[in-house]
Amino acid sequence: MRKNALKTVLFAIMALTLVITAACNNGKSGNSDTTSNESGETSSDLKPVNLVVAFPMVTDQKDMELVQNEISKITKEKINATVKLVPIGFGAYSQQKTLMLSSNEQVDLMISGLGTHSQDVAKGLYVELDDLLEKKGKGIKDAFETTIGSDILNAVKIKGKTYGIPVIRNMAQDISILMRKDLVEKYKIDASKIKTLDDLDPIFKIIKENEPNITPIAKSSNSILTVLNGINGELLGDGTGLSNKDPGLKVVNWFETEENAYLLNTVRRWYQAGYIDKDSATSTETGFHLMKAGKAFSYPNLIDPWFNEDSSTGRETVVVHLKSAPIATSSINSFMWSMAKNTVNQERAMMLLELMYTDKDVVNLLNYGIEGKHYVKVSDDIIDFPEGVNASNSSYFPAQVWMFGNSLLSYHLKGEDPEVHVKAAAATKNALKSKVLGFNFDSEPVRTEIAAVTNVMNQYQVALETGMIDPATKVPDFNKQLKAAGMDKIIAEKQKQLDAWAVSNK
Amino acid sequence: MKSNKLNQIILNIFMISLSVFCLIPIWLLFSASLTDDSEIIRNGYSFLPKDISISAYSYLFDGSLGIMNAYGITILVTIIGTVTGLALTAMLAYPLSRFEMPFKNTLAFFIFFTMLFNGGLVPTYLIYTNIFEIKNSLWALIVPSLLMNGYFIILMRTFFATSIPRPLIESAQIDGAKEWKIFYSMIIPLSTPVFGTIGLFYTLLYWNDWNNGLIYITDSHYYSLQNLLNRILQDIQFLQSSTQMGNKGDELVANLPLGSMRMAIACIGIVPLLIAFPFFQRFFVKGLTIGSVKG
Repeated sequence: MRKNALKTVLFAIMALTLVITAACNNGKSGNSDTTSNESGETSSDLKPVNLVVAFPMVTDQKDMELVQNEISKITKEKINATVKLVPIGFGAYSQQKTLMLSSNEQVDLMISGLGTHSQDVAKGLYVELDDLLEKKGKGIKDAFETTIGSDILNAVKIKGKTYGIPVIRNMAQDISILMRKDLVEKYKIDASKIKTLDDLDPIFKIIKENEPNITPIAKSSNSILTVLNGINGELLGDGTGLSNKDPGLKVVNWFETEENAYLLNTVRRWYQAGYIDKDSATSTETGFHLMKAGKAFSYPNLIDPWFNEDSSTGRETVVVHLKSAPIATSSINSFMWSMAKNTVNQERAMMLLELMYTDKDVVNLLNYGIEGKHYVKVSDDIIDFPEGVNASNSSYFPAQVWMFGNSLLSYHLKGEDPEVHVKAAAATKNALKSKVLGFNFDSEPVRTEIAAVTNVMNQYQVALETGMIDPATKVPDFNKQLKAAGMDKIIAEKQKQLDAWAVSNK
Repeated sequence: MKSNKLNQIILNIFMISLSVFCLIPIWLLFSASLTDDSEIIRNGYSFLPKDISISAYSYLFDGSLGIMNAYGITILVTIIGTVTGLALTAMLAYPLSRFEMPFKNTLAFFIFFTMLFNGGLVPTYLIYTNIFEIKNSLWALIVPSLLMNGYFIILMRTFFATSIPRPLIESAQIDGAKEWKIFYSMIIPLSTPVFGTIGLFYTLLYWNDWNNGLIYITDSHYYSLQNLLNRILQDIQFLQSSTQMGNKGDELVANLPLGSMRMAIACIGIVPLLIAFPFFQRFFVKGLTIGSVKG
């Protein structure tokens, strides 16, 4: 009896092993011809191709395939190409990008940037786009000129060559403090009078005294100062920065500057007065959630300049604009579209990219899905969810309008400011531009130093910027360690590259 | 007698407190999954939720996250992976334990070598995607872990070599049994402890694996439970530490599951394993070899 049972188990095991081996072989021969079996009538002389588009996306959209087929219908007609959309989680995106591009997997267009653009270009992951733009992508250039300005497109060049097309979206943002509207009204706070960080102290005091369960200010991203640092200078990464006081281009250690000392002292003062949560250095909850849960009164963020009140995410806030953040290279090249070196057809990929910057139907399919199914039109440019559907149960609502090509071609959701695209274009065109817009630092010569400095910064920066430790005693320690880690070498290299850039840019 | 009883009491107290320390985090996890999100943010995690809310679970099971699909994938992959992995490991380890096996040491060296060195992420990825084409298929979750663990093979080989007396095999040969017969009629029934142990290892390995999914899967149809959880956590981490998106980032974070939801996913992730564990325990009885060899 027992023997028989064992026999059966063993044969099942063997059978499974065989099935697995066989199936692996099937996979091998089965999907190599996906690009060649696209047939269909077309008036165009172009050879049919299937183009793969990869991008990061937060939540998976159930109807991605339907949208993909709808887009393919348009692209089939216009450029005789079909499209395959490959959404990848934000957290996995950079690893997936490296893996996909280092194997020979087909990827034609993909989102690039996310803070590693110059390294990726140095690795040769992307195709140089200048010629292609001239030949097949005139529409993209026009789109920039007529909206947010060509200098944005030119700012992402590396050594004079374009490797990525920035997304057309609003780039002008203000360093702001978001405050809970109900509390602002309750204590009759005049938000328009707040001009500097020092003006916030009395307000925080009122909140602290009257609402013992509410933290006056919470952090955004890693620390209280992540956003607010921009008030007093421009950070160039790796602990270096340009001082606002200095009209020239002198790179300094940001943590040795008076401006940073002022910010750190402010935060320390807030911390000691109890305006900042004691565990905010280690907490993973950011201002947004804390405010939504009723635990925080305010938090700093970067906000579109025309936004004065925000209720888009289910809470009423008052926006206090402190200073407009100059448009820097890093904010432009955070999200771009690049052509992967694995592309099967450069010209066609460029034509598809052009559609994403010029074709309203393509842009809105990507943003909102299919008309009648995922949205209904209220008027020409204004749309709403169909009955019974909302943002959280819709089968296609990525909410990443700012990522798909020319976002200024997208429809407006009902309730949104219908003038927002005009405002965005004007604000970006006229916005304050950084003194070093277009400068891309090549970190290769000082890679080891940057790794060492980053380690030291991880140790001190968040604790200092949330007021946990006293800047008077700890900042000198911090700077000593930064020096030992090779900070001076990084500054010298940055200065050298920046000077060279300034000369060539004149 | 008296001191014996005292010993018992002390040991019992020690063991009970040890179990409590193991159970507390699980209870906290469970209770957090039943707490309202804003409650967690306001007051932190607590052992007894003030107002119980099952919103996290109802959101999980209403299907918009694809949890049920991921659950199915995880169970399927775990079963296939464990059974196949166990079979391959046993069939490799057994010959290695027999001294008559030719090239035994060379083979053993290969296995030992892969325990110390591997090809690195990119070359491994290239081989699996370009030659075996397992990207975005179920095989991506099964194949890379199958024989990759030299430790299991060596563990099993040692068991076969030390716990199964050679005269037993010889006596079977005298009775006319061929190698297959010896393997499945004698070796396997005598080796349930090691099969149980390594089976459990494989189950844990497959159940908890998120790395293969992270590397080889971009199509959400093939996400396993751990992949889904990992993806949510990674996305939250990325969005919270990214400053460049401003209020756009907030809108995205708003769409992601919050604390209690993550706890709920972790909860439904561990329950099947808790059920499976006692099932494996019955194999941990020592194989009954005593008495089969005399003299």
